Amino acid sequence: MQLALLILMPLLGALLPAVRRHDPVVRLAVLAALPALASLMLLLSLLPQVLAGETLLWTREWVPTLGLSVSLRLDGLAWLFATLITGIGCLIILYARFYFAGKSTAGRFYTLILLFMAAMLGIVLSENLLVMLVFWELTSLVSFLLIGFSWDKRGARRGARMSLVITAGGGLALLAGIVLLGQVVGSYQLTDVLAAGDEIRAHAQYPLILSLILLGAFTKSAQFPFHLWLPHAMAAPTPVSAYLHSATMVKAGLFLMARLHPALADTELWFTLVTITGMLTLMVGAFVAMFMHDIKGLLAYSTVSHLGLITLLLGLGTPMALAAALFHLVCHALFKAPLFMMAGYVDQATGSRDMQQINGLWRYMPALMVLTAIPAAAMAGLPLMSGYLSKKMLFVESLQVSSPDWATLVIPVWVTLAGLFSVAYSIRIFHNVFFNGKPVELPIYPPKKISNSALSPLFLLAAATLAVGLAPQLAYQWLVQPAVSAANGLPLPPYDFSQLGARLPLLMGIVALIGGLLFYMARNPLFAIHARLPEVDAKEIFEWLMQRCIRFSQHQVYGLENGSLQRYLALLLGTAVVMGFWATEGFRDWQGSIALQPLDAMTLLGGLILCGAAFGVAIFHHQRLPALLLLGVTGLFVTLTFARFSAPDLALTQLSVEVMAVVIMMLALSFLPQQSPSESRWPRVSRDLIIAGVAGLGVALFAFAILTRPMESISSFFLANSVSGGGGTNVVNVILVDFRGFDTLGEITVLGIAAVAVFAFTRDLHLKERAVPIADENWVAEPHPIILSMVARLVLPIAFLVSAYIFLRGHNLPGGGFIAGLVTAVALTLQYMAGGLAWAQSRMVMQFRPLIGAGLLVALFTGLASWVFGYPFLTSAFGYVHWPLIGKFELASALVFDLGVYLTVVGATLLILANLGKLMTVAGPGKEIG
Amino acid sequence: MTTTEIPFLLELVIAFFLLIGALVALLGSIGLARLPDFYTRLHAPTKASTLGVGCTLLGSLLYFSFINEGISVQEGLITLFLFVTAPVSAHMMAKAALHRRVRCVRRTRNVPWEGDES
Repeated sequence: MQLALLILMPLLGALLPAVRRHDPVVRLAVLAALPALASLMLLLSLLPQVLAGETLLWTREWVPTLGLSVSLRLDGLAWLFATLITGIGCLIILYARFYFAGKSTAGRFYTLILLFMAAMLGIVLSENLLVMLVFWELTSLVSFLLIGFSWDKRGARRGARMSLVITAGGGLALLAGIVLLGQVVGSYQLTDVLAAGDEIRAHAQYPLILSLILLGAFTKSAQFPFHLWLPHAMAAPTPVSAYLHSATMVKAGLFLMARLHPALADTELWFTLVTITGMLTLMVGAFVAMFMHDIKGLLAYSTVSHLGLITLLLGLGTPMALAAALFHLVCHALFKAPLFMMAGYVDQATGSRDMQQINGLWRYMPALMVLTAIPAAAMAGLPLMSGYLSKKMLFVESLQVSSPDWATLVIPVWVTLAGLFSVAYSIRIFHNVFFNGKPVELPIYPPKKISNSALSPLFLLAAATLAVGLAPQLAYQWLVQPAVSAANGLPLPPYDFSQLGARLPLLMGIVALIGGLLFYMARNPLFAIHARLPEVDAKEIFEWLMQRCIRFSQHQVYGLENGSLQRYLALLLGTAVVMGFWATEGFRDWQGSIALQPLDAMTLLGGLILCGAAFGVAIFHHQRLPALLLLGVTGLFVTLTFARFSAPDLALTQLSVEVMAVVIMMLALSFLPQQSPSESRWPRVSRDLIIAGVAGLGVALFAFAILTRPMESISSFFLANSVSGGGGTNVVNVILVDFRGFDTLGEITVLGIAAVAVFAFTRDLHLKERAVPIADENWVAEPHPIILSMVARLVLPIAFLVSAYIFLRGHNLPGGGFIAGLVTAVALTLQYMAGGLAWAQSRMVMQFRPLIGAGLLVALFTGLASWVFGYPFLTSAFGYVHWPLIGKFELASALVFDLGVYLTVVGATLLILANLGKLMTVAGPGKEIG
Repeated sequence: MTTTEIPFLLELVIAFFLLIGALVALLGSIGLARLPDFYTRLHAPTKASTLGVGCTLLGSLLYFSFINEGISVQEGLITLFLFVTAPVSAHMMAKAALHRRVRCVRRTRNVPWEGDES
């Protein structure tokens, strides 16, 4: 449960800033920090168990048949990542308190950042791979929202889209890989998967599984060539960049590789894929970073390069490479976050992020300079800093690679070269920002002051960087070693830091340092060369590609779906007819064994009128009013048919639906042209006639064939169990609210959504070409005649009485929430028609949308209530009570459910009607209804 | 069906109501078919639906009250609702027709829109 709390606290805590989003930033920061801190504290309290090597598990079954359970796992690796996520998250929340000071968007930011934290914690704490995948995609989604935080800027929107396409696309590959993996292992639980490493590696599908999973990891961790999204994600506010794109999200891919290490790693294929990708990413990132003039751009590419470095280490396969990878991961998180924070402050203080403009800031912000020096030195790998150690560890590990042959020489040289570049850009970001002459044409000059308290998160992170650098043994032992042991599957010996002093790695370090310094000195000629190179904007290419894709699919879709309803109907019915013919080929015995009922005159007459009216609708469809009347006739005779063949519930429903339908159709028709043009020519008409005729006859034949055969259907179960299981004698109602209550819940949800959709569509709709009002429209003095409105008012209480009666008796006699809701809606509609929209609306006690919501909630909570008593969702309970005067009275929880149905139906119907009616008013949309 | 004997006098009364109802309904239908314009035609079905259906229902009420030994209220309610709704709907139709200036026969006096362009 503690593990679930770890995720739940930020998840639920995200609601707080959302609700109080108008509060001042300081209070919002406190609200956001509380759940984050609570999670962090909980994690720290679990540290002793983790150090002891325990693996905490927590499981709750979800869909056991699919192998899906919400299970969480906390071991050393998960603890390390979770602590990084919550710890740096807390500092980011603190930082954002200064970054967002005086801005109104802080609430949104804090909500999203907490959501993101919860999703990240979900990834690292998941025991079930499928659950992890859900969180994985959740981080992609939240990251999309965070990158597009300033959605009014084009760059932000494009960057957000690009990152979503790449990371979520990679997530799909990962899904495929995980499903395959689960099939091979027979379980999605990490424990089982990690134990089955040999089996997986020997399996024929191993290359496919590995490629798919690595694709997911590489896209998330911005590995070459998928690294492109990361620099473009810098359009996000700086706290987002500092958190997502340096410390946490991009580490998810690395986490995955470390997590699945025992299951997938240490094969030749793994080595080739991971190491080479890591090497390419390392070099591309480090090289490009040097030439970025944007501070955040430089940091982004340097992040790419460091991610590549860690990937490279994960791929090496030497015994201690995993340890080096995780150690560097911690160091990177600690030194990259403060650098991003610095970039944010400089951006705010000077209004620019261009390092060609920003120079010599040490005069204006000396404290910031000192605090930047430490992480920058760590990034460069200067002695005494954490980065120095991790870089040394990289050099040591690169020298240990023994096979294949090419790698023994290439990798050490390669990493030295990359180290050289990283020294160069680290010097650049520090020297260019704080020294290098004077500022050039800054938008804000002199730069704004930064308060000392605003520097506190930087101070803490810089101190941590120093601490790791000064006491690496301790940091390693407490943070990294449990993680390495957990990731490796076996306990590892402590890292021997003394071997870092060996001669060859030292030499490599010195070469990188001096080379980087020289490279930086030679920057100006190099920039000039770089500026002359043709500029390739990945975003433009990506955008072009996206547009092409969209246009292609649009073309394909519209080729089939051209908006013609006739066409859709023809396609659907045509398919049904063809399939029907195919299925019944050679079938002759249409009439089954049940004898036909005798035909009586009234039924025959009703049937004939029904058919005649239906034909009439088709024939007169150009004249709207006769068609509508005939449609009404059809509906009424269908009602009579239901009544005749013992379906009183259906008859009641049909009757009330019919009334509403005619009213809504009248409203809708008044927006259409008075005369519809005759468009179809005879070949088309005959085609339609043939399709419709054949389809209709086919349906009739099938109905005939089925009705004349004895059928063993599920209905006998319902008939037998209605009273004993649902406590009601009206089987239809018992099915609706009890046996199939879940269906009903879904249906009323759809109804509610449809109504809200109508509301949304008509909300700002101005119909200019409404049916032309007749000249001097209101010459009949009163638009709402007094006789009608008086009678309507009289009818209202009676109608309420009737609907209450129908509602209450519904469980045992024809009736129920749906019919009662329709009756109420009809009565209220009459008020609208009689008294006018404004008159009736001003007398409504409640808005309709809350009514729909309330109905859905009532229904839902009735269902949930059965959980409280330990029964499955929507189990109905009933009992009988004796009331004085009234007598025996049944109380069923289904009645409450039915109340939800009732409320939703009333709200939805009236919302649709009132909004369509609002369009009719001469003034067009006035005050919002609903 | 039940074979309860109904007193002759009651039978007479029931028959009277049924016949009157049928007659009015017939007249209403003829009127609907024969009368010259909308406004005059409106009179016929309203009579049929109030007086005609009302009389029939009254006969039915008497009959079933006697057969089932208890006053049959459904017919009463139906009659009540018919008497409330039929005039209102006729009124509304007349209003709508006036509003839309539906054509009337030439002999009509006090046409509201007389003197206008039409």
